[in-house]
Amino acid sequence: MSLLAVEDVVTAYGKIEALKGVSLEVAEGTITCLLGPNGAGKTTLMMTIAGILKPRRGRVLLGGTDIAGQAPHAIVARGIALVPENRLVFPAMTVLENLQAGAFQRRDKAAVAEDVERMFTRFPRLKERHAQQAGTLSGGEQQMLAVARALMSRPRLLLMDEPSLGLAPLVVEEIFRIIAELHRDGTTIFLVEQNAHMALKVAQHFFLIEQGKVTFSGDPGALAEDEVIRRAYLGSAQQ
Amino acid sequence: MLADLVQNSLDGLAAGAAYALLALGFTLIFGVLRRANLSYGPAIMFGCYAAALTHQHFGAGLFMLALVTIAGAVLAGAYVERLCFAPHREGSAIAAMVASFALWMQFEELAALVLPGHLYAFPMLHEGAPLALGAFTFRIDALVLLAVAILVCASLWWMLYRSRFGLAVRAVIEQPTAASLAGINVPRVLVRVFALASAIGGVAGYLVVASNGQITPMLGMWATLKGLLAMMLGGLGSLPGAVLGGLALGLIEAHSQWYLGPQMRDLIAYLLLFVLLAARVPWMTSRSAS
Ligand SMILES: Nc1ncnc2c1ncn2[C@@H]1O[C@H](COP(=O)(O)OP(=O)(O)O)[C@@H](O)[C@H]1O
Ligand SMILES: [Mg+2]
Repeated sequence: MSLLAVEDVVTAYGKIEALKGVSLEVAEGTITCLLGPNGAGKTTLMMTIAGILKPRRGRVLLGGTDIAGQAPHAIVARGIALVPENRLVFPAMTVLENLQAGAFQRRDKAAVAEDVERMFTRFPRLKERHAQQAGTLSGGEQQMLAVARALMSRPRLLLMDEPSLGLAPLVVEEIFRIIAELHRDGTTIFLVEQNAHMALKVAQHFFLIEQGKVTFSGDPGALAEDEVIRRAYLGSAQQ
Repeated sequence: MLADLVQNSLDGLAAGAAYALLALGFTLIFGVLRRANLSYGPAIMFGCYAAALTHQHFGAGLFMLALVTIAGAVLAGAYVERLCFAPHREGSAIAAMVASFALWMQFEELAALVLPGHLYAFPMLHEGAPLALGAFTFRIDALVLLAVAILVCASLWWMLYRSRFGLAVRAVIEQPTAASLAGINVPRVLVRVFALASAIGGVAGYLVVASNGQITPMLGMWATLKGLLAMMLGGLGSLPGAVLGGLALGLIEAHSQWYLGPQMRDLIAYLLLFVLLAARVPWMTSRSAS
């Protein structure tokens, strides 16, 4: 059974429907990727799964339980963590405090402290800068921090919304190396990306979304890469 | 000359301590909600009137009256939060502000109903002579005010920077969406911060009323104006700024009253705010811009 199943989800901003009946699945233990041009509704879907936006219709099943419309903190408690678009670190808080905020619902202090150490091992730059305000970090470091903060809640499912956005090519490679590592350690990842080339290298499955609808789904080999990339950047409407 | 300067500064600091408390409450609410609560002062007045009535009917002691004031301010604050801010969390900041103005009018009407005279006596914090130290005099109630303000600031600092709840509050102030995503129950934090801010306002209101020994229906407007002014002087949204803004306001008022006369007292403070806003000094534009 898939860990996450989105069924016929409609999410709207006022009268404008950004998601017009989206259905997709993320299998346990995979990296599943969502590709699509700007404005297709990728962020809207992530925000809907995480509970920040309420769907007008449809179901969001996590391990078979419908969580659609629940409050974000309740969804975190069920095991979903989102690394949001543009990272959204707490800029005036220290790196360490950002991590502690990520573990807000956990009462097991000793285990949280262990996880902080684990994050510092995985992201040595964060350790160096643990007492620094997060707003002073570089874009790449802030992205690492956003990922580490999300992991601090020990999620069953990690959602990532364009983690490579605005980063230098070397940093993008590092981010994808980390994504592959997290996957190898057993985390299920649902990844939104503009960088289709990189995403298809790590993903086991992908979906294409265009204008609020899933228009294609398959394994990375299912569609010629240049065709995927063309549709992911431009959408099929521009053919 | 120098003695006047020092004495005025002492008096100004005491008044400023009350302003600092008012501004702290105002800033906490503004920080988490990004909305100005015009009914902040009137809710404090509600608490003070509750205490004045309690005193009239039961003659309760000072400490009891302080508790009644704080409880009343928190209760009235909760009423304001439910009616003005809970429904407009995602919606218009202007709608919330206008709604809070409407409740201001409610509180003033209520005050006029329960205590129709303009001025009522309130038990004084301290009735004896002021403390003399060399050439200077210290009003005991002013010293109490300063001590309580320091205690409140220290507790608030501890709460914000050393407690789990404080981590949540700072997260909500800095980045509410990310706070939600981190698993923080943001609506619950908002309600609790509102209650905390109302309680701090209640402390300030009690100390001011008990220092003056009287209460009038002007208290609500006075508290909102002073709190707002001190918050803005300190740079919208910064807690240390609120404290500094409050103290600065107290000092400015005391000195302009002494050197320029009582009519100029309020004018100078507003003039200063205007100049600071027009000059776009960094601490007033950095946070309010976002
Ligand atoms: N806060 C908003 N208010 C109104 N419309 C929005 C808002 N956010 C996104 N949209 C619209 O919803 C659609 C999907 O946006 P989004 O989910 O951000 O796309 P993507 O992440 O794929 O670039 C776009 O047409 C966008 O203009
Ligand atoms: Mg997006």
